[in-house]
Amino acid sequence: MMVKPLMPKCWRKESKPHKFCPGCGHGLALKALGMAIDELGIQDKVVFGCDMGCSLKAWDFFNVDIVQTHHGRTTPVITGLKRANPELIGIAYMGDGGGYAIGFQHLMNSAIRNEKIVAIIINNTNYGMTGGQLAPGTLPGQETETSPYKRKGDTPLFGANFGAEECPQLWDINETGYPIQGPEMVTAIAKQGAYAARGTVANVRQLKDFIKKALRNQMDGNGFSFVEVLSTCPTNWRTDAKATLKYLEEDMTKYFKVREFKILASEGGQQ
Amino acid sequence: MDYSSIRFESGKAAIYIFPGLCKGCGLCIEKCPVNNLGWSKVLGVFGTPSVEPGHNEKGCRACTLCENICPDCAIYIEKVKLKN
Repeated sequence: MMVKPLMPKCWRKESKPHKFCPGCGHGLALKALGMAIDELGIQDKVVFGCDMGCSLKAWDFFNVDIVQTHHGRTTPVITGLKRANPELIGIAYMGDGGGYAIGFQHLMNSAIRNEKIVAIIINNTNYGMTGGQLAPGTLPGQETETSPYKRKGDTPLFGANFGAEECPQLWDINETGYPIQGPEMVTAIAKQGAYAARGTVANVRQLKDFIKKALRNQMDGNGFSFVEVLSTCPTNWRTDAKATLKYLEEDMTKYFKVREFKILASEGGQQ
Repeated sequence: MDYSSIRFESGKAAIYIFPGLCKGCGLCIEKCPVNNLGWSKVLGVFGTPSVEPGHNEKGCRACTLCENICPDCAIYIEKVKLKN
């Protein structure tokens, strides 16, 4: 008997193995999303919007309707689709470059307007597709293509001054600010019925629950649902599997707390 | 798209590896709590080594952590009953 790989049913089997690098967190985040779509049985109603950057390689990932838009403009495109046809279930899938840097105004205004869509942001702390430059999510002490002496930062979380002598002011965290925390921001500005959580690809089962709650929040018509996913980028971090998992599970979660920030009204959330 | 699998029996599980999907990232080897997985001589889809079980004495515990962490779904675990 021919054994089939255990893929989510809504995955498009013809396009596998997918186009992401070995060890990339996108595959795991999309696996969690696929499992959530399967369990809710909404494959025929989903519109999946992918962004510029590495997330655009998900354009043939699912057997659902897919639209690919310009940098960070996935949120307004999905918003328009959802307003034109409220029966649809819109998923805006972005990386941290698209969602937090160039498309930040769209994300923020969608949260303020409480649009009934799901935004999923994959945070791998650099711009993956262009070669690993410093991104809004880059942590203090992290070495990237444009901060080769490590991003400087004097913070109790990461110990002493990283690269204090050789590091120009450009990468100083006291000059350029701290890494962006998306779910915290959405929690602060979103109104009634919103949902915000941060998951990690190291725990796919928990991440699937978060995405499922976000999709259910949209299906109930409550409001903006936001899930940030801590992800990996072994190619640009230049790490092996062991160091990748250590960075993801230990270093990143010190600054990016993995939990639900704004819970559903049906679970007793503050509205 | 090559979905052929290699069947291994190890401990409490029958493990199916799909070399046509395995990219050789090694996340499963790091996640395995009993260090059962290791590099194989069979090449994966990118020409890098794929993985195989049977690198420790006790064998697989069928916890399915490797199946969960694999971004390409290249591992399928089937639990089997021990004979004695």
